[in-house]
Amino acid sequence: MPDTTWIERRWAATSDYACQFRAVNSPVHRLGAGWKLLMGAFLCAAAIQVREPWSLAIVMAMSLGYYFAARLTLFDLWRDVRFFLIQMVIILGLYCIKYGVSGGLWPGTRTSLQIVLFFIPGIVFIRTTQSSQLMRGLRRIVPYRMAFLIFTCFRFVPVFARELREIALAQRLRGARITARDLLSPGNWQDLFHCLMIPLIVRAIRTADEASLSAEARGFGVRPERSYFDHRLLARSSSADGAIDEARPINRKTGSATPTQP
Amino acid sequence: MKQETTFLWNRFTLREAFLLGFCATFIVLTRAVLRMKFGLPGHSMFFLMFFLLMARGCVPKLGAATLVGLVAGAVSIMLGMGKNGPLILLNFVLPAIVVDGATLFYPRLAINLVACLVVGAVASASKALTGILLDFLMGIDTEIIIRHILITTFFSALFGALGSAMAPAVVRRLQANRLVPAPPASD
Repeated sequence: MPDTTWIERRWAATSDYACQFRAVNSPVHRLGAGWKLLMGAFLCAAAIQVREPWSLAIVMAMSLGYYFAARLTLFDLWRDVRFFLIQMVIILGLYCIKYGVSGGLWPGTRTSLQIVLFFIPGIVFIRTTQSSQLMRGLRRIVPYRMAFLIFTCFRFVPVFARELREIALAQRLRGARITARDLLSPGNWQDLFHCLMIPLIVRAIRTADEASLSAEARGFGVRPERSYFDHRLLARSSSADGAIDEARPINRKTGSATPTQP
Repeated sequence: MKQETTFLWNRFTLREAFLLGFCATFIVLTRAVLRMKFGLPGHSMFFLMFFLLMARGCVPKLGAATLVGLVAGAVSIMLGMGKNGPLILLNFVLPAIVVDGATLFYPRLAINLVACLVVGAVASASKALTGILLDFLMGIDTEIIIRHILITTFFSALFGALGSAMAPAVVRRLQANRLVPAPPASD
C-alpha cells in the first residue's frame, strides 16, 4: 500500500469540491431548512453591518462557530473560501492604491473578511441540507409544473453526463480535437461545438420529443391541477367513446378519484 | 394536425419546456466540468451564454432564456455548486433576462454573430450587479466599487462574448436541418 502523508489522508476524508453536501451528524444538520435560512440571514446581516475590529471579531467567531458546529473541517473551509482569495487580493490592492498601505490595510482587510463572512452561512446551508430536503422545500413555494421541470432536469444530469462522455469518446476516435489539451488552442473550439455540442443538442431534442410524448400519453399536464397516474383506475375509467381518461385528480386521503365531467 | 397545448407560463409546450430544461442541464454539466479542469476566472460565462442563446434559438419565444436561467440556478443550488450559495440563482437569471430583453428588440438575435457578441458581453457583465450591490452594502467607496467591478467583469464579459460567438453557427445548422423552427419576425 503506498505511503500517504497525513495531509493527503485528511484531504481524502473531506469533500471532493467546494460546497459539497457532507453526510455527517451534527446539530446544524438536524436543524430544519427554515431555521438554517433564518440563522443565515441573521449572520449575513451582521456581516454587512460590522465596522469596528471588535464587532468583526464577534461576527467572525459566530460564523466560524456555526461552520464548525456542522462538523465541517478546516480542509472543507479551505475548499470553500479559497475562491475568495482573488477577490480579497483585488480589494486590498485597490484600497492600498487609493489610501496607501497604512491607510488602506484595515478597511481593505475588513471589507475582504466581510465578503467571506457574508457567504459562509449560505455555504453551511448547502453543505448541511440534502437535495431531497431542498426538493421538499421547493415543492412548497414553486408551482408544481415548474417543480416538475426542475426535478426532471436534476434527474437527467447523470444521463446527459453519460451521453457527453460517449459522444466525446466517439468523436475523438473519429479525429475530433476535443481533448483538454487540444482545447487550449482557440482554433480547435470549432471542433468542440460542431463535433460535441451539436450532437448533444440533437440528442436533447430527441429526448425532449420522447419524454413529452411519454408524459402526454399518460395524461400529464392535461388538467390545470396536479394529477396522479393510477393504473388501477384504467379498467374503471373508460369513457363512453372508448377513450381512456387515465389522469384524474385523486383525493390523497381516500385514494378515490374525483369523478370526471360527463 | 394536433394542436399542442401549453404547459408552462401559458406559453411553452411540454416538449419546449423539456428542451429548455435540458439546456439548463447542459449549463450545469459544463460548469461542473470546467470548474474541475480549468478553474479560470469568468470561465463559467462561456457555456452559460452559449446555451442561453441556443435555448433562445431552439425555442424562439419570449421567456425561453429566463426559464433556462431559473432552472439552471435551481439545479445548481440543489447540486451545491458555486461559492455564492443561494445567490448563485442571480448569476444565471440576470444574464438570461438580458438575452430575453435583447430579443424583444431583435428577434433574430440567435443567428447574428455581431448581435450575439454584444449581447454575450453585456449579459455577462450584468452578473456584476450582484457584486455591485454587495460591495455597496459593505460600505466600500464608490470609486473602489467601480474599479473592482471593472476588473472582475472584464474576464466574464470576454468569456461570455466568446461563448456567444459560437451560437449562431450552431443555430443556423439546426435550422437548416429543420430540427428547430426559424424565429418569427417579431414576438
